[in-house]
Amino acid sequence: MDSSALLRLRGVVKKFGDFTALKGVDLDIVEGEFFTIVGPSGSGKSTLIRLLVGMDELTEGSIWLRDGRIDETPANLRPTCMVFQSLALFPHMTVGQNIEFPLKLRKEAPAARRARAEELLDLLRLPRSYYDKRISQCSGGERQRVALARALAFDPEILFFDEPLSALDYRLRKTLEKELKDLHARTGKTFVYITHSLEEAMVMSDRIAIMKEGHFEQIAVADEIYSAPVSRFVAEFMGEVNLFGLRADDAGLITSDILKIRAGVAVDNLDPGGHGLLMVRPEYVRFAGGERAFDFTLTGTLHGEYALGSRIQYEIETTGGMVTVEKLREDRLNASEGEQVTIGFDSAVTHFIREAT
Amino acid sequence: MPTSRSTRIVLYVYGILVIAFLYLPLVSVAFASVSRARYLSFPIKRYSTKWYGEAVESSTVSELLTTSLTVAVLVTVISVVVAFFGALAFARYQWRYRTTFQKLILLPIFFPQTVLGLALLMWFNSLGIIPSWKTAVVAHLVWIAPIATLIVSIRAYSFDPALEEAARDMGAGTWTILREITLPLLMPGMVSAALFAFLLSWGNFPLSLFTTGADSTLPEWLYAKMVSGYSPLVPTLGVMSVVGSFLLILTALAVAWLLRTNREARAAQN
Amino acid sequence: MRTLDRKLGLLSSLPLAVVLVVSFLAPLVVVAIFSVMPQKVFSLTNMPDFSSYAVFFDQGYYKSLLWSLGMALVSTVILLVVCWPLSYAMAKVFKKFTLVLTIAVVMSLFVSENIRLFGWVLTLMKGGLIEGHIRAWTGVGFDSPLYGVPIIVFGLVYVYLPFMLFPLAQGIAMVPDDTRQAAYDLGATRWQVLWQIEVPLAAPGIVVGSLLSFVLAAGALAESKILGGQAVIAIADDIETAFTFGQNWPLGSALSMILIVIIGGLALFGVSKVDLDAIMGRKR
Repeated sequence: MDSSALLRLRGVVKKFGDFTALKGVDLDIVEGEFFTIVGPSGSGKSTLIRLLVGMDELTEGSIWLRDGRIDETPANLRPTCMVFQSLALFPHMTVGQNIEFPLKLRKEAPAARRARAEELLDLLRLPRSYYDKRISQCSGGERQRVALARALAFDPEILFFDEPLSALDYRLRKTLEKELKDLHARTGKTFVYITHSLEEAMVMSDRIAIMKEGHFEQIAVADEIYSAPVSRFVAEFMGEVNLFGLRADDAGLITSDILKIRAGVAVDNLDPGGHGLLMVRPEYVRFAGGERAFDFTLTGTLHGEYALGSRIQYEIETTGGMVTVEKLREDRLNASEGEQVTIGFDSAVTHFIREAT
Repeated sequence: MPTSRSTRIVLYVYGILVIAFLYLPLVSVAFASVSRARYLSFPIKRYSTKWYGEAVESSTVSELLTTSLTVAVLVTVISVVVAFFGALAFARYQWRYRTTFQKLILLPIFFPQTVLGLALLMWFNSLGIIPSWKTAVVAHLVWIAPIATLIVSIRAYSFDPALEEAARDMGAGTWTILREITLPLLMPGMVSAALFAFLLSWGNFPLSLFTTGADSTLPEWLYAKMVSGYSPLVPTLGVMSVVGSFLLILTALAVAWLLRTNREARAAQN
Repeated sequence: MRTLDRKLGLLSSLPLAVVLVVSFLAPLVVVAIFSVMPQKVFSLTNMPDFSSYAVFFDQGYYKSLLWSLGMALVSTVILLVVCWPLSYAMAKVFKKFTLVLTIAVVMSLFVSENIRLFGWVLTLMKGGLIEGHIRAWTGVGFDSPLYGVPIIVFGLVYVYLPFMLFPLAQGIAMVPDDTRQAAYDLGATRWQVLWQIEVPLAAPGIVVGSLLSFVLAAGALAESKILGGQAVIAIADDIETAFTFGQNWPLGSALSMILIVIIGGLALFGVSKVDLDAIMGRKR
């Protein structure tokens, strides 16, 4: 057991009647990191955070904070705190009263509370005049900052976030993502963040955990999850991807139903007799032309062309299904729909996902 | 802060106890109505339905029932019409004196009914009107029409003004909109308001007490007998009145349920 | 659309407004005028002398008023305590049972108040449902709790329970679950959550429920007459007696006016504090 971790989960199971929402989850969160749990709705991430905060009881397993077991501790006695999806600001209190709420519960003197609240307003770049504002007078982004200030006033060991940005519009969300990352750096606190948006996770996190049907599919730094997913689920969850089945016979010769493979090409992790999926992201697929020979090639008909801002996406219909290719605008392909095209890529830009035999 | 299982159980038990507390006196009345003895004493030794027979045959009783029923029906019809328009003014239209109007409606509900009855008595007297069941209808309306309005308002709040605007956009006039859009949408609220109006009028005593003059409603007669000494007809008529009300409610609930399941079944077919 | 709304609003308020002006506000004016007339007159064409208000103090009618207000206050407090857990459960815990409970409580409202109170007499009297059966089984009876101040308060609590229960449940339903959990997460105890989050946020429901119960109980008559056996006289009882046996309309009117001013003041104050649109579920 890694005892240097701040928060440790061991074999955490949560059942609701017959339904098992969490199927024995292990997790270590290091002090000071920005850790994000990503998963589609229904993957169990909300259930997990409710357990971590103490709003629900676990069925089996244990949760440890430093050296103490906390899963039996009620939420109000845990030194952790959460920013809610709805923010849960108290509508009957002013901005200042909201921020001071945890301090007031600890019976701190009014002057000290006020000073701390103003410090936090400064930290979150809210004008001090907001101290006496009503919550209803604040905009969406301002409320977000008040909720953060209130959570920080509590001075938690770990700050949990339950998709707090999901209700905001795109631009504000982008701004706040960066601010959150910045705030994390400045406060040095441990942040545990839950979201269904991978983009959000990639921008902010040190490490990401991908959750699926009540267990972690992969826990790694953001880059690794993008370039080396452990399963089809993670690969597909992390954005557009092309996957091709590969097989190696007992002599180690690699074959594919779809891809033409250059002689002598080796694939990491593909042992003789094994099989799996070869993954290549759309931006690494090239259109064949000229002298260039690729490790893997295939042909198909150009099916569609879509403008994605700075890039252009092509869909190519092949015998193995649709393949997606992305090009920068200046590298636009000079071909029309229905035309035959040959595409290819090298093994250096691929990642092989081994499947159990 | 999850509600623990034991807390939930305690709350359910508490809820059941409160229902028992509300209905316990009616149980006593029901037992009393089937006791054979003229002077009631528990435990009841001999049961009999003879008081029901007497009640059915009594001409006083049929007179009381006729008066109560006439008053209740009139109050219901007038209340529902008034409440339909009142609810629109209360919840739907944005007009200048809306909040004043809302408060005016609440006042009679907050008002002690006995005092209201007496005030009306003096008012009728100064107008030279002799109190009868007709004045009782007016008295009931003062209290029941606002309640009916509140009930329809709850429904009116939940409806989307855009529906009316869409109809107007397609060329419908104010009356057509009221008839074709507003009325059907508020209908469920109107039905509950009618039910409330009828039952509240049927059971009302303090407003009737001073405003019926020489006529008498069932609750008034029961009260007179209660304070002047025991009569076995009091529990008997009480039970008959309660059973009548409950049958009406249960019928309404059953009809509502049938309509809903019917609609769901048809929706499932499509 | 705005001007049309204004016109239609005014028009559709008319039927109810007419009913209330003619048969609510006008009678109140009559009561107000009668209350300043000389004793025992039956017409409004006398010289006002305000003698009835002097009688209120001289002949101890203020005692009845204090009794009524006191009993109303006590029963309101009891109702708050009794109804809070149940309202809470109706708003947050019960699922289908909330509907069952609502129907059961509303149905009891349709039974004439005096039949229900009479039922309590039959239940609690000597030889009644409870004492009679206990004596039959154990051989030992007990004195009836009827005819006293506590039983009047009991009756008030019984009769006005729905008027506290429903507004309170409505108020508690307005407390967002997240704010409660957030407070708890920030370190508040159950008790602190109750007083600092739930009670302030459910305040509209608490105000409406308390006002309704207090006001109705303060003007109540039947509880003291049927259950209390005139152990104390309620102010509504005095008012009735002044009109009927006393044949003293000005005195009855003066007593009514005093009650009306207290109750009306409270009601107006409470209603002005509450956003009716919010509590009744306005969407926009």
